[in-house]
Amino acid sequence: MAACGKGLDKFMFSLRLLRNLQLQNERFLSTSVCRLAVGGSSEQPPKFTPPSKPVIVDKTQTVASTRSHLSPEFIPPRQRTNPFKFYIERKDMIRRRKVLNIPEFYAGSILAVTMADPNASGKMNRFVGICIQRGGHGLGATFVLRNIIDNQGVEICYELYSPRIQQIEVLKLEKRLDDNLMYLRDALPEYCTVDPDMKPEPISPTGEVPVNKLKVRMRPKPWSKRWERPKFNIQGIRFDRSLTPEQMEHAQKWAQPWREYDMLKEYDTSKLEEQILSEVQREMSK
Amino acid sequence: DPPLISLAKMARQLLGCEHVLPSHLVGCIRTVKTTTWFDEHLTEDNQEYMRKTTAEEYRRQTAEKLNPLKDEPWQRHEWTEGSRRVGLVAVKLGMVPVWSKTGERHVVTMLQVQDCHVIKHLSKEEFDGHTAALVVGGKNVSPFNRSESQMEMFRNAGVPPKQKVTTFKVSDNALIKPGTPLYAAHYRPGQYVDVTAKSIGKGFQGVMKRWGFKGQPATHGQTKTHRRPGASGPGGDPAKVFKGKKMPGRMGNVYVTAHGLKIWRVNTKYNVLYVNGSIPGHKNCLLKVKRHTRAHKHTQTRK
Repeated sequence: MAACGKGLDKFMFSLRLLRNLQLQNERFLSTSVCRLAVGGSSEQPPKFTPPSKPVIVDKTQTVASTRSHLSPEFIPPRQRTNPFKFYIERKDMIRRRKVLNIPEFYAGSILAVTMADPNASGKMNRFVGICIQRGGHGLGATFVLRNIIDNQGVEICYELYSPRIQQIEVLKLEKRLDDNLMYLRDALPEYCTVDPDMKPEPISPTGEVPVNKLKVRMRPKPWSKRWERPKFNIQGIRFDRSLTPEQMEHAQKWAQPWREYDMLKEYDTSKLEEQILSEVQREMSK
Repeated sequence: DPPLISLAKMARQLLGCEHVLPSHLVGCIRTVKTTTWFDEHLTEDNQEYMRKTTAEEYRRQTAEKLNPLKDEPWQRHEWTEGSRRVGLVAVKLGMVPVWSKTGERHVVTMLQVQDCHVIKHLSKEEFDGHTAALVVGGKNVSPFNRSESQMEMFRNAGVPPKQKVTTFKVSDNALIKPGTPLYAAHYRPGQYVDVTAKSIGKGFQGVMKRWGFKGQPATHGQTKTHRRPGASGPGGDPAKVFKGKKMPGRMGNVYVTAHGLKIWRVNTKYNVLYVNGSIPGHKNCLLKVKRHTRAHKHTQTRK
């Protein structure tokens, strides 16, 4: 009963807060003025106007939905497959997206995923974590979420288009300096701990995705991979804290400076992207 | 020499065919290249015209075949136990994941049935004396690089020339008129099929990749012997190497069949079959798809 009362208090407090917000909202003021004016001109005792319901402004879904963004799994890899196969796959992907809202997110964003699980109590399980990798193309696209729970690092690889996924929420939308954050496994645990009860943060009104230029501190070597080597091209680690300049120079021996000039490795997807983006937007709006 | 070569050229131009040398020139010239492609001696307008007319003819032919009033089909019989239906020729598109209603994930291969027509009917006597057969063809292809005998077969059926032509053994109550198109709706989800295709060619391969031999250790004193076959058989008693001994050689590019594959989904609008598991052959290769009979030992489904 005490808990009930507390809850009620909180509710009243939040209502009052919202009412205050409304008073500052211009739109609300104008409607209230109109109502009062209409009441006055009818020459009858003023009708009882019930207080309007609280307007909850959902700050999480704003400009981002208007900006056109193509998810990376729509872009087909450079293969000798018939483009018709990608077209059929895209149709299935769009069908699934009409049922489940798959929001825009990047490696470094914090997501909460609820998945149907026959063995869990309540049949659903919810996992919150930081996205460290997005892989795969087409229907088999996956993303890996990492979190540290009870001092144990946990990574779960989810398939975007699996029918077991009930909801994907973006709690914090941001990008990092790299696309692949697998080095967080060798970083200090504070960089991977995400509060499971975290509230979704509002997206910035401009709609641009903020880039978090965080440089992560690592645990002492040995690491799972030699992240200092140029093939990983990692910008987001503080190497000066864990490696000497001699070690950094030694790592540069594995550099392949000719790779950026290799024309055969060029794969320009801009035109393909535009085509696919227009197609996807057309189908989603139907 | 010069007059002989010019004569050969004239002969080629006059006859315009690949293999036949005029009789008075046989044995005279050591290297005579008589092969030519269809538009080598045509002007550009003529080339375009040839291509356009063939395309129009294909469209007309396929449209005719779709109309059952113009082209009356043969009689349909009832299905009996032990009757065999004809199969299809399909193109392998690629692989996708598929989820069942219970949430299990399976991988499937997408096969598209492109322009599949029945080309010929071989009766019991013509084929092997026991069962009748139907010759079915797959993807449409240009007529300019096909031989006359093949073109005759396609002309009789009234169908554009096909890239892959296979025979299916068919029971008498499932005969189809030559020229009828076949679509993916021939199969339903839940049926099981066998898929035959030419496996990807790997070229000349050693014994470890081709037959799975273990080879020799990398270290501990092995002199120049790490991937060799080792011994080739027993000693002095047979004093020979048996026929069929596994040795290095050309691997792949042979017909391989995957048996007992379940069909998960059929897309009748685009004629695509979603078939369980992996299939031999590279992407966009032509395959022979037929109904699975449980006579085989090597099946994915053991019932």
